[in-house]
Amino acid sequence: MPERKLSPFNFVGLVAGVLFAVFPIFWMVSTSFKVRSEWVTSPPTWISSKPTVDNYLTILAPHVLLERRGGTQQVGDESFGGDKDDAVGGAIGDFLNRSAWPGIKGTVIISVSATILSIVVGLMAAISISRYRFGGNFTPFFILAGRMFPPIAIAIPFVIMFGPKVFDITDTYFGLIVAYAAVTVPFSTWMLKSFVDELPPEIEEAAMMDGFSRWGAHLKVTVPLIKGGIIATTLFILILNWSEFLFALILTYTKVQTIPVQLSKYFSATEGTLYGVQAALAMVSIIPLVIIGFFIQRHLVRGLTLGAIKR
Amino acid sequence: MSEPVLELRSISKNFGANEALKDVNLTVPHGSLIVILGPAGAGKTTTLRIIAGLEAPTSGQVFIEGHDFTNHQPNMRDIAMIFDNLALYPNKTGYENIASPLRIAKTPKAEIERQVHEMAKMLKIDHILDRTPATFSGGERQRVALGRAMVRQPRFYLLDEPLSSLDFMLRIDLRTELKRLQRESGRTFLFATPDYTEALALADTVCVLLDGEVRQVAKAQELYDEPVDRDVAKFVGNPPINIMPGRLTRENGDASIAIGDVRLKLPKEMEHGLPASLSDVEIGVRPEHVRMVGGDSTGAHLSGAVNDLEPLGMHTTVGVNLGGVNLFFTVPGVQEFKDGDNIEMHLDMESILFFDPQTGRRVSS
Repeated sequence: MPERKLSPFNFVGLVAGVLFAVFPIFWMVSTSFKVRSEWVTSPPTWISSKPTVDNYLTILAPHVLLERRGGTQQVGDESFGGDKDDAVGGAIGDFLNRSAWPGIKGTVIISVSATILSIVVGLMAAISISRYRFGGNFTPFFILAGRMFPPIAIAIPFVIMFGPKVFDITDTYFGLIVAYAAVTVPFSTWMLKSFVDELPPEIEEAAMMDGFSRWGAHLKVTVPLIKGGIIATTLFILILNWSEFLFALILTYTKVQTIPVQLSKYFSATEGTLYGVQAALAMVSIIPLVIIGFFIQRHLVRGLTLGAIKR
Repeated sequence: MSEPVLELRSISKNFGANEALKDVNLTVPHGSLIVILGPAGAGKTTTLRIIAGLEAPTSGQVFIEGHDFTNHQPNMRDIAMIFDNLALYPNKTGYENIASPLRIAKTPKAEIERQVHEMAKMLKIDHILDRTPATFSGGERQRVALGRAMVRQPRFYLLDEPLSSLDFMLRIDLRTELKRLQRESGRTFLFATPDYTEALALADTVCVLLDGEVRQVAKAQELYDEPVDRDVAKFVGNPPINIMPGRLTRENGDASIAIGDVRLKLPKEMEHGLPASLSDVEIGVRPEHVRMVGGDSTGAHLSGAVNDLEPLGMHTTVGVNLGGVNLFFTVPGVQEFKDGDNIEMHLDMESILFFDPQTGRRVSS
């Protein structure tokens, strides 16, 4: 392919676009290493002059912070005084029992399980809609209709159904997994349907003529051929589940926690919102997604059906 | 083995309000090569898909080797099918594509290897066994699809326009090869095509499907010489048959027909075959049954003015105006005419076909 030169105008435009997109991430990274006095300043502090890992220690190992200061402080003891450059200052004791580990554990368990459930259900729905016209034209639309309401409108019935008078699954992993799967199935169905639609049905039919049952043809032929699509959809659904806030907030209390809810809890009566700590937790939470995304990017490439049929 | 390998009993298929197939009956004997001939949209693919079990008929039954298979899944029927787009597995090599039916049947590995290589040798595709379909040429794809079907020993084969998108020369080659394969293996083929030359070249028996109806099942030559109706006559043959309105009159025991302003006397033996009540008819004349003659006027003679000329190398198609009616016929070699040239022709009266103008059916003579 001949090398194409960008005009200077295009180049400047693209750089501006990239900066615009990347800036929030830069700010998050930068803030996660800032000391408390640098979080909110005017003019803004671009890069910390005294970079610290205390923000990370607060979420991952708060006892280390405490030991560094003598290790005797009681919860709520303000007399300890506030180190201005410390992440949590005098409120350190409040955060001893607020490490992010329960939230990380909850997010991993819930989002991974809900994603698997959503993909399995979505794949079966996609194949039945695409190949067998299940439910005619109405069902695919109806499945998507749930996404047309504001999430809070859907959340209210969930609160009622999950409550003690009906299913009594509030504040359980199971409850949140079911809720997340239910909310993401429309996405997985529609995304996977588009990949199934792209595959000529004759390939599966050829597999049936070769001796596969319907299920066999779909599992052994359809699924491998839309593998890239399944992986892309899985990542998309995983991101949705990983960062979900509203349902996690209203369907859990104390036993089950997730990272997004945990993020909102880094707030202290005396110190206000702990921006640096929140940035650190946000950083920690996106790392797994970035790593997964990096390893599966080759699967996101299309064009797998090349050569299957004569054109 | 007298039992037919396949029998369709009054198969109908509706897609919504659209009647794709109407009361289709067809019997396929063992070891035969039957071609389903019909234009696009006639229902050829639907017929094959119903036989394969990929589509359920709205009514009617599919009998395979004497048993009702109407409600069986495709994999229970033991039929091989080649799709019009071939439908190779794009993620598998040529070898794996051909081996796939054997793998599903859990054939031992050594046996698979032997059979695939044997098949590849026969189809001359040894060199592409370790490549994926994206790198195949059209002919290679075709052969791999054929190999995938032929490596099994199914009850019979369905081929849905398998040659339709190949180059002309390759098509003729593969057509010959298919016929040879079928003869040598003694297997049963059911082949769908819109191309009547392909049908006539391949088939023992041709089944003409028009608008979802089986119009005629006949030997290839019979189809050409004795089509059951106007539509079949028009579909088979190139340049197409001339269909001209005519009038049959009988005076003093002699019958004659009027075409445009020409009046032709009918031979006695033809006249006997025509119903007495017939007067308005449509007359079918194949282009090769008209030939140019010199100035003398014996036999059934026509004359007309040239108004169209199409030189096609080995012959020329000439259009003439017979007093308001156009007639096309072929003459050998290249002929130079100018528009309006008056020429004399001889018409082979014995081969004229008569059709009822209302029903379109051939009135036998």
